[in-house]
Amino acid sequence: MIVENVLHRPIRTLVSILAVAIEVGMVMLVVGMTHGLLNEYAKRVEGVGADVMIQPPNASFFFGLSSAPMPVKIADRLAELPHVLAVTPVLFQSYSTGGVPIIVYGIDMPSWNRVTGGFVYLQGGPFRGPNDILVDDIYARDNHIRLGQTLNVYQDFQVVGIVEHGKGSRLFIPLATAQDMAGAHDKASIFYVKCVDPAYTDSVIASVRQLLPNYTVLSIKQFMTLVTSNDLPALTAFITALIAVAVCIGFLVIFLSMYTTITERTREIGILKSLGASKAYIIQVILREAALLCLVGIVAGIVGTIVAARVIQSSFPTISVDLTPLWGLRAAALALAGALLGAFYPAFRAARLDPVDALAYE
Amino acid sequence: MEPLIATQDLKKVYRVGKVEVHALRGVDLVVQEGEFVAVVGPSGCGKSTLLHILGGLTPPTSGRVLVDGNDFMAMSDAERTRFRRHKIGFVFQRYNLLPTLTARDNIRIAQHIQGNGFNPHRFAMVTEMLGIADKLNRKPYALSGGEQQRVAIARAIICEPKILLADEPTGNLDSENSQIVLNMLRTLNRTFRQTILMITHNPEAAAVADRIVRMRDGRIVGS
Ligand SMILES: Nc1ncnc2c1ncn2[C@@H]1O[C@H](COP(=O)(O)OP(=O)(O)O)[C@@H](O)[C@H]1O
Ligand SMILES: [Mg+2]
Repeated sequence: MIVENVLHRPIRTLVSILAVAIEVGMVMLVVGMTHGLLNEYAKRVEGVGADVMIQPPNASFFFGLSSAPMPVKIADRLAELPHVLAVTPVLFQSYSTGGVPIIVYGIDMPSWNRVTGGFVYLQGGPFRGPNDILVDDIYARDNHIRLGQTLNVYQDFQVVGIVEHGKGSRLFIPLATAQDMAGAHDKASIFYVKCVDPAYTDSVIASVRQLLPNYTVLSIKQFMTLVTSNDLPALTAFITALIAVAVCIGFLVIFLSMYTTITERTREIGILKSLGASKAYIIQVILREAALLCLVGIVAGIVGTIVAARVIQSSFPTISVDLTPLWGLRAAALALAGALLGAFYPAFRAARLDPVDALAYE
Repeated sequence: MEPLIATQDLKKVYRVGKVEVHALRGVDLVVQEGEFVAVVGPSGCGKSTLLHILGGLTPPTSGRVLVDGNDFMAMSDAERTRFRRHKIGFVFQRYNLLPTLTARDNIRIAQHIQGNGFNPHRFAMVTEMLGIADKLNRKPYALSGGEQQRVAIARAIICEPKILLADEPTGNLDSENSQIVLNMLRTLNRTFRQTILMITHNPEAAAVADRIVRMRDGRIVGS
């Protein structure tokens, strides 16, 4: 009977399924894109090749965006610590291309090269002047950038080199220029520290903590696990809000759908009651119908999300969407819970209908 | 032998806003097991109300109602529902089939609600007897009124109820189909000693019953 009822009102069924699918898709995509963004960012941070990263007190630990950058001078003191091979300061400049956020790295070339082992230049070479910019190959390909052209990042730069991707950012400008642009003279957003051997990472962290007690000091390994974990610590408020909105949509649509259904089928509920159906039986019928709609919606949502992720990735190669089965399950569970909750009040009302009135209903 | 149905000074008052409608004003009715009783009377005299109370669809306001030894005044809503599930079969003037289900599923859902599982033997026997065995895959809209009513009767008796309550079962049927349905009710009564209480407007329909109960203004005025 449940299947027949669902098929009896194809538009209502379709809309309900679509709402659940959108709900599931929204949760999965938002989480997937956030994961993708973070994983990708984390991979590039890892690609810098440092062992330790140091950020100002209270820095938002991923992306390291902070309104209070650190004095570059600290780098010299860090470099004197035991087991430290090299330290390089980077000033972040946030920018966006076509809606995709990107953090431009202001780098100090000599120390950068010591920490990272230097860029692989696919075309061109290092900075020659303050208004030069380096672009990684992916960014260059997506934005059709040729060597020697002018690129505007708040101001005009000349593209002097195209480098292999994977080291921190996709766009690099000289540190001094970045400091001028930000009005942050002699300041840095982050220090990357390279140890003489990775085995010294922990002892280096300990001595940095002694030197700079309130600063955020993380090994790159710790950073990676934090950023790539399934429970995104830093973005929870944002993601929770979006998930809540998605679940509300699913809840409301199922609620409305089941509510109109019981009004429309008042007589049928009366018939079931005349046959001796208990309240529990009627509640079950309605909840199962909602669950069926929801399950089809979940499947549609998951399939749709996988397709959408493919489309997004092929049209915007700089965005990566990392869909995790765990979040697929979470999205499905949330959708099902929302749907059952939405169906519960209509089901309860249906169960409480007076059978004689329901049978007389036109 | 104890009667299957016994009511004493049964009253039912509907409250519609501030207005009280006295639908039953003291009904004393006794029906023995195996009887076929017709209830006749003008429209609005409380026939349907009586049937609904006897089937446990609505509680009485006062008086005594004993159906198969169950005292409805003392029973909760859920208990009356369970009683109805196992002891009562309803047939209505408007057939009241579930429109989205086939005839087969309409009958089987009664068995499903009753929860005793599917009894293929009983199913075959009932559908055969009512002459609907070859129409089981059709949905109600694809059946004539007479066929729909026969499916409704099949649904009502599939779980072997103690009492079949029929509210103007031929009210929407032409005389030919009425006759078929009435014959089936009589066969059920004669062959299986099915107790039947049937409301009707039609004197010919009432004539197939063993006994006729006349109602007027919420009371029984003769049988
Ligand atoms: N659910 C109800 N609410 C209020 N009044 C009702 C209701 N059902 C029936 N009545 C009233 O009770 C009286 C008896 O109705 P009913 O039992 O349907 O009579 P009959 O079936 O003999 O035509 C009528 O006056 C009717 O208007
Ligand atoms: Mg009536």
